[in-house]
Amino acid sequence: MTPLDRRHVLLALTGLAAGAATPAVAALPEIDPEGARRIGQAYLDSHPGRRFDAGRLQGDLLPDGWTPEASARLRARAAADFRAGRLFIHRGWRLSDTEGRLFALAALTPP
Amino acid sequence: MPFIDAGDLPGDSEIVADLIVIGGGMAGLALAREWAGSARSVAVIESGGKTFDPAVQDLYRGAGVMRGPDSPDQPFDDYVGQSRRRMLGGSGMIWGGKCVALDPADFARRDWVPGSGWPISRAAIQPYYDRACDLLEIAHFPPGETGLDVAGKPALAIGDRKAFFSAPRRFTKFSGGVDKAAYDRWRFAPAEAANVTVYLNANVTELRLAADGQSLARLDLACLNGRRHTARGRVYVLATGGIENARLLLASNTVAAAGVGNGAGLVGRHFQGHVVFSVDDRKGGRTSGVYLSGTDNDMTLYTDGSKGAAHCVFAPTLAGQKARRGGNCTITLNSFRTPAPVDPELAALQQLAGGVDRGAPVARADRDLSCFVMTEHAPNPESRVSLGDSSDALGVPRVKLEWTWSEADWRRLESSVAAFGQALGEAGLGRLAFPAERSRYLAMAATSASRHHMGTTRMHRDPAQGVVDDTSRVHGVDNLYVAGSSVFPTSGIGNPTLTLLAMTMRLSDHLKSHLARAA
Ligand SMILES: Cc1cc2nc3c(=O)[nH]c(=O)nc-3n(C[C@H](O)[C@H](O)[C@H](O)COP(=O)(O)OP(=O)(O)OC[C@H]3O[C@@H](n4cnc5c(N)ncnc54)[C@H](O)[C@@H]3O)c2cc1C
Repeated sequence: MTPLDRRHVLLALTGLAAGAATPAVAALPEIDPEGARRIGQAYLDSHPGRRFDAGRLQGDLLPDGWTPEASARLRARAAADFRAGRLFIHRGWRLSDTEGRLFALAALTPP
Repeated sequence: MPFIDAGDLPGDSEIVADLIVIGGGMAGLALAREWAGSARSVAVIESGGKTFDPAVQDLYRGAGVMRGPDSPDQPFDDYVGQSRRRMLGGSGMIWGGKCVALDPADFARRDWVPGSGWPISRAAIQPYYDRACDLLEIAHFPPGETGLDVAGKPALAIGDRKAFFSAPRRFTKFSGGVDKAAYDRWRFAPAEAANVTVYLNANVTELRLAADGQSLARLDLACLNGRRHTARGRVYVLATGGIENARLLLASNTVAAAGVGNGAGLVGRHFQGHVVFSVDDRKGGRTSGVYLSGTDNDMTLYTDGSKGAAHCVFAPTLAGQKARRGGNCTITLNSFRTPAPVDPELAALQQLAGGVDRGAPVARADRDLSCFVMTEHAPNPESRVSLGDSSDALGVPRVKLEWTWSEADWRRLESSVAAFGQALGEAGLGRLAFPAERSRYLAMAATSASRHHMGTTRMHRDPAQGVVDDTSRVHGVDNLYVAGSSVFPTSGIGNPTLTLLAMTMRLSDHLKSHLARAA
């Protein structure tokens, strides 16, 4: 597994946002990197008992790196999180746990 | 008959009619219109005149407080007087005209919402809703949780619609604040009928029980110029609004010390109102909103806030409420324009949710929506209207309102927010932001209170659980009925006036057949 750089993690987050109909995720402006890092840190802080590292998170979320197919899979996973009530609530925003983990990966991945 | 100023009648006049309607507001006048042209004589006894008079309005002044768990009490004295209008036409002189039928779930017995369940089903009230809509000249509301197609605006769907459905509101022009001329025609119309007399400046000060306490013998009336009169009818309908109905029943204590219809001590209890929960702190990056991810949701269709436009409102289905054992709620969407966020976290969150329209310098009104949430205020005996220590200029004790929220109300609010956020995310439609802390709920409620006063003479077949029976007759009093939102057992979220008018139509039919049978 090749380690990802933060840009690819941000692309994965953008792909989540873009909706299934959007063809060219890479052409979209990427998610604010500093914002993503801070939200990711908040996710890590909200799980004080657990140890996260970039490798394990990447293996879980993006084992083959970022691809358009990965976006579709992550979208389905986020929807399943909502269905199951696996949420990450940050500053009142109700996000899926998968989104929280992607932000955490962004925080743990070098720029 | 023309209007008659009760202040001009000789002192100690007696007004006699088959039907006496106490209060010439929206309910009282709607009832009188139903009887216009019939063979029965009708007298409407109205406190005010055709124009606003501060001395009359002062009779509404009282004390108030809003309470909730773990928060300091919020002073609420002003609300008691300012949330209603005492003159011919009542609060209809200033209401917004926003109309909607209550949801089927509101009428259902929900064993997880204490005190829920109307003795009437949503289906049974449908013909009366249709008549109330005709009276206000708006299109009919369908009976189910089907969502509502407004011309060119297909019902918005979230996922499979199992949890939430689209429940837009509509507006009528018949409001003194919206179209004064139209409302003047509406409020003056009943007096054009030969069998209807509208008495102005006539304040009912006591509903006088017969000695056996089983029926009303007469009404005591007082004018601000000092004249006093009485009124006698075969049946009486109390239609003075959701706070005043309770006040008059409680203050009518010459024969029964607890007041009229108050054998079970329920008059004034279970006061329910509607408030709005939202956060609007755009600079601070804290705004309650819905951020839509899809490309095919042109929300401008639904978020035109102008009068006459349908409002975009989502409500939970009965099945959805049952699944989470939650109450009713609504989420209302409004378009808003906000500067590009300076806070990087907020920027990231909005981008994630599709909120900044792929990097457009400002958010797009067709995609970015603020929202507010309303939650059902469940019936609570501690939330109540009672008599205060001071009296008004006519000697009637002033009212005291203790509007009380419970911990369970807050939980239901939170469960509604959670369910809506979940439904949006599950359907891949977007994300919800609701950055409100519990410690702020009461303050939010106190600054956003609607002027909807419900529940103080609640309807229940069992006299131990309600003030009026399922025909709106006061339990234990043969000839006294109540019209208005005070009879609602539960409040739902819908603006109450359309429902109270529908219930008034139903009462009118009942009284017509009742008097025909008695004859
Ligand atoms: C600013 C504002 C905005 C509102 N917006 C909406 C809205 O958009 N949608 C909605 O559904 N509802 C709205 N409402 C609520 C709506 O106005 C009421 O639900 C409706 O007017 C109630 O009708 P009613 O006849 O029961 O009471 P009222 O209309 O208040 O009428 C009561 C009448 O009784 C008379 N009266 C009182 N005491 C006595 C007495 N002792 N003797 C004789 N007569 C007496 C009064 O003068 C008055 O004419 C709003 C209210 C306000 C104040």
